[in-house]
Amino acid sequence: MFNISLKNTLRPGFAGRTFKSGYRFQRYWGTPMATAFFCGETGAGLFIISMLLDFMPGIILGLLITGVGKTFFHLTHMGVPSKSWRAILRPDRSWISRGLWGIIFFVGFGSLHILGQIFGVMPEALAQPVYYLALAGAMVVIVYQGFAMSHSTAISLWSTGLMPVSSMLYGLLAGTSLITILSVFGFSAAHMDMVITVQNILLVGVLVTLISLLHGAKNGSKGAQQSYVLLTSDFLARPFLYGVVGIGVLIPLLIGLLASQNTITILVSGVCVLIGFCLFRLLIFKAGVLDPILSPADIFKR
Amino acid sequence: MTSYGMVFDVKRCIGCNACTVACKQENSLPDGVFFTRTLSAETGEFPNVSRTYLPTICNHCEDAPCEKVCPSGATWTRDDGIVMVDADKCIGCGSCAVACPYDMRTQIEETQIKAGLFGDGNLTPFEEQGYSRFECGTFTKCDFCSERVDAGKDPACVATCPTDARIFGDLDDPDSKVSRLIRDRLGRQPLPEKNTRPKVFYID
Repeated sequence: MFNISLKNTLRPGFAGRTFKSGYRFQRYWGTPMATAFFCGETGAGLFIISMLLDFMPGIILGLLITGVGKTFFHLTHMGVPSKSWRAILRPDRSWISRGLWGIIFFVGFGSLHILGQIFGVMPEALAQPVYYLALAGAMVVIVYQGFAMSHSTAISLWSTGLMPVSSMLYGLLAGTSLITILSVFGFSAAHMDMVITVQNILLVGVLVTLISLLHGAKNGSKGAQQSYVLLTSDFLARPFLYGVVGIGVLIPLLIGLLASQNTITILVSGVCVLIGFCLFRLLIFKAGVLDPILSPADIFKR
Repeated sequence: MTSYGMVFDVKRCIGCNACTVACKQENSLPDGVFFTRTLSAETGEFPNVSRTYLPTICNHCEDAPCEKVCPSGATWTRDDGIVMVDADKCIGCGSCAVACPYDMRTQIEETQIKAGLFGDGNLTPFEEQGYSRFECGTFTKCDFCSERVDAGKDPACVATCPTDARIFGDLDDPDSKVSRLIRDRLGRQPLPEKNTRPKVFYID
């Protein structure tokens, strides 16, 4: 009697906010949150790579992107920005809380490291711990957003271990891209050849991660399958396939592997990576679909 | 130990949404905010078509994902299993909303409060009194009408249901009506694959 089959009643219907049964988009994490994630991962990635290369302009820029950009967009997103400090209270269970602690460590010890390096006021005994604490904070910032998303079993597209992996790879990739872009403007880091090689390796890693993400979604729950359809053949397909995969990964990869390195190719490649990453963050949020609440009703068929 | 839960008898539900209206009235919910909805779906093919109704509500999960992800401690579970939200502690980050598989979290937006139910900004005395419990930007949800439960009454949606399609009671008491219905008529939980252990059951 209670025969509600997805095939009959729910496809292609998204219920929206109506009283119909069907798929529903997640609607609370939007552009400000996606931009905050983008800033956090880009800044942390740039900071980590720059710390390893001892590249001070990158260290400062990475800290600013996260400390100012990420914080600003998070506060824009918050329903009650004046109470945002309360997010530090539950690091025992919440990735958002752990991430905030990571940001505090990153910005706090990162600033101390910069001041120590520029003014030489840091005692020798403190310089090393401050360096590693700042690096640890940046490592938390670059991955925690992926963990926060993968923790959400509600949205099957996100509920995968690939989320923190993609956060890390994209963050480091954006970091290397910004270092190459900075070199165009006269701030050149040491070992630029190695940076470009690392960028190419990260591009391959990101490509494999994107394919794995789509593969998992295609073979996942009904909600994940809807996300797959949205990203590959529905209204999000163009920005995803052309923007994220084409502009964001394939063009920089082809430039990195085939073209000679000059100012224009480095600039185009770096900008393409950043555009692709920003689109990825936005589209992964847009494509988040909740499984229909009626899906267990299939088991009423007896 | 008491563990409150609810049973929905989908055979009895007629989709009148009296529960929805009672809930909005009891909790003074602004326009566009619902703690409970009765979803409908058309099934079958012409001429053998039928419409089925499925009431939905916060499932007050035993392993509530909204509580686990809340960074500020605003979401907490009472000893009797009712999952609560403390508006004073909520920062409006929305992590609970994206963690809830049942889409049962709602953000109270300033425009909803200011516009009022008639949309003209003139709040009725009922609205002025009721909206004072909300803080703009925070997330809210059903609390099984905890103030009524504490007074020994059923939640408003249960009390108003004209067909007794909603049954409220103690899941830990094997002799309670909800326990017997779940046992005798094979109660099923929504989206069990999400491993949230909902305390809302459906029977047909």
